[in-house]
Amino acid sequence: MANTFSNFAIKGLTKVGNIYCPKNDEFPAFSDVAGTYKLNDLVRNVPSDDFSSLNLVLAIFAFLPNFIINWIISKCQQSQANPSDGIIPSTLRQLNIGLRGLCYSIYYSEFNNPDFKGKTPLQVIDYSLNRITD
Amino acid sequence: MIYDFIVVGSGSGGGALSYYLNKSGAKVLLIEAGHFYRKDTFPKTEAETSAHLYWGGGIEFGKDGKMGFLRTKMVGGSSIVYQCLMDRFDDIAFNDWKSESGVEWFNNAEMDKHYNQVESDMVLHTFVPEERNGNAKLFVEACDKLGYKWGNLRRGQSNCGAEKGNDCIGCLGGCFRDSKQSSLVAFIQKAEKEGLEIITETEINKVEPGNDTCKIHGLQNGNKVSFEGKKVILSGGAFGTTRMMTLSGFKSKFPALGKKFASHPQFMWLGFQNEPVDAHKKMFQAVASKDDSFRAQGFKLENVFASPISIGMLMNETGAEHQRLMKQYRYMQCIEVAVRDENVGEIMCDNKGKLTIVKPLTDQDKTRRNKGLQAIENILTTAGAKEIYKSNFYFGLHLMGGCVMGTDASKSVVNPDFQVHGEKTLYIADSSIYPNAPGINPGLTIKSLGHRLAMQLLK
Repeated sequence: MANTFSNFAIKGLTKVGNIYCPKNDEFPAFSDVAGTYKLNDLVRNVPSDDFSSLNLVLAIFAFLPNFIINWIISKCQQSQANPSDGIIPSTLRQLNIGLRGLCYSIYYSEFNNPDFKGKTPLQVIDYSLNRITD
Repeated sequence: MIYDFIVVGSGSGGGALSYYLNKSGAKVLLIEAGHFYRKDTFPKTEAETSAHLYWGGGIEFGKDGKMGFLRTKMVGGSSIVYQCLMDRFDDIAFNDWKSESGVEWFNNAEMDKHYNQVESDMVLHTFVPEERNGNAKLFVEACDKLGYKWGNLRRGQSNCGAEKGNDCIGCLGGCFRDSKQSSLVAFIQKAEKEGLEIITETEINKVEPGNDTCKIHGLQNGNKVSFEGKKVILSGGAFGTTRMMTLSGFKSKFPALGKKFASHPQFMWLGFQNEPVDAHKKMFQAVASKDDSFRAQGFKLENVFASPISIGMLMNETGAEHQRLMKQYRYMQCIEVAVRDENVGEIMCDNKGKLTIVKPLTDQDKTRRNKGLQAIENILTTAGAKEIYKSNFYFGLHLMGGCVMGTDASKSVVNPDFQVHGEKTLYIADSSIYPNAPGINPGLTIKSLGHRLAMQLLK
């Protein structure tokens, strides 16, 4: 069965995304620019048991206050900055990469919210690529 | 139907091998677990490249969650997304292989004819100074000041369109010009025109070697399928081939199965310059270190870069600090150290096929890493970086070992003839047979080993 995020998970991801990528100077907030229509396609090759865990964690985030999500993300960062052994640090590191990967894949991509009218993150960092095919 | 040869996996080893076998007129079937993309169907964005072309939807982790592994899933395998840098092994690499495995033909004199043949079947290009982008220029100038030796890279490419303004970093998601000499371009598409049969999106989970033929079984779109060949050659890479062998019950026969895994751990650091570097523009990787002292110390430096999502993943910061760093994307100079690591890793597979990777960094690995990172810091500082971002995220692209070659069946899985010890109809030809980490880009040698096996099978 295809990996499909629940509505709660998308709400949780939006909260996490706004912590990773808030509105700041020229940068738009994740929730303003992210085109969540692409999310399910981006996880189509993720093993189903890994996806189920991610979907559940994000859905729980939908109900948590931001200060608790911030605390969890700071623990994830610490597990990466000062890597130690054990199942909890290992899980936090993988959660850290999984959440950042998902957020950045949407934020720094062409898959923007069609209603967003401002400068996209790729435009803010002045990124462009020439593809000459002939 | 009984094929003369069935090759499972279409990366560097499987692609070249199936090409040479097919060329002889033999009836060859090439089986691939992933999708068959062409130059006009490769993903066009970085986000889709990660999500669509890699097992696990982007990155897989070792058991301790410290190191990421990048493993591709499509026709052409890793050769589609790598830089196609074509380096021959030196005597150091072959001598270490020979010492570890007992295989006498691991030497340049014996491999020369295979390298020559593979190189003649590809279009190779050695970069010239005019092709260097901002990142390469900074690297060369700083290395010269520090007395570090460097060299122009040799790459498999035919027509990159750089003179027209094409930015080659885009081909890390598959070359949309058919310029990069991936297995797909250099071998598989040519063989396809000459009758090579290719079956995709079929994952083989069991091999049953017999005296006269070898049967293999797997799933195609959820349906069970089986094939039979006089000879079956596994080329699914370190993870894929080890998985197939373990699921087929060989672990009890070969204690070495899954062992001796190495991956050339890679660490990328960034230097922020006052003027735009535009490391993502033009030919984005043209030079690398070529310093004997670096080689002796067990590391090499590569002048690389990545697209925005990947660069963002190097950074552990969130919010405004992350955005401050990313705002300087065009001002980033980037260098990577690849460590010639000890082969103490292990690839394990449960009875459902789920992989668990154990890959610690040894004290020697850490020493080599630290020396490489110090050299990077020296280069970035000499180049005038106003700030250095020292990412501690690391990953492995060169996945090697798990089914290593050797003369002793108690310490290896295949014999010096690429044959699984004691099995007449089952062979392995990919990076899983590497006895240890060479510290050199493995692609050309994987193809050349494929050529060697093809010549042997066709005798």
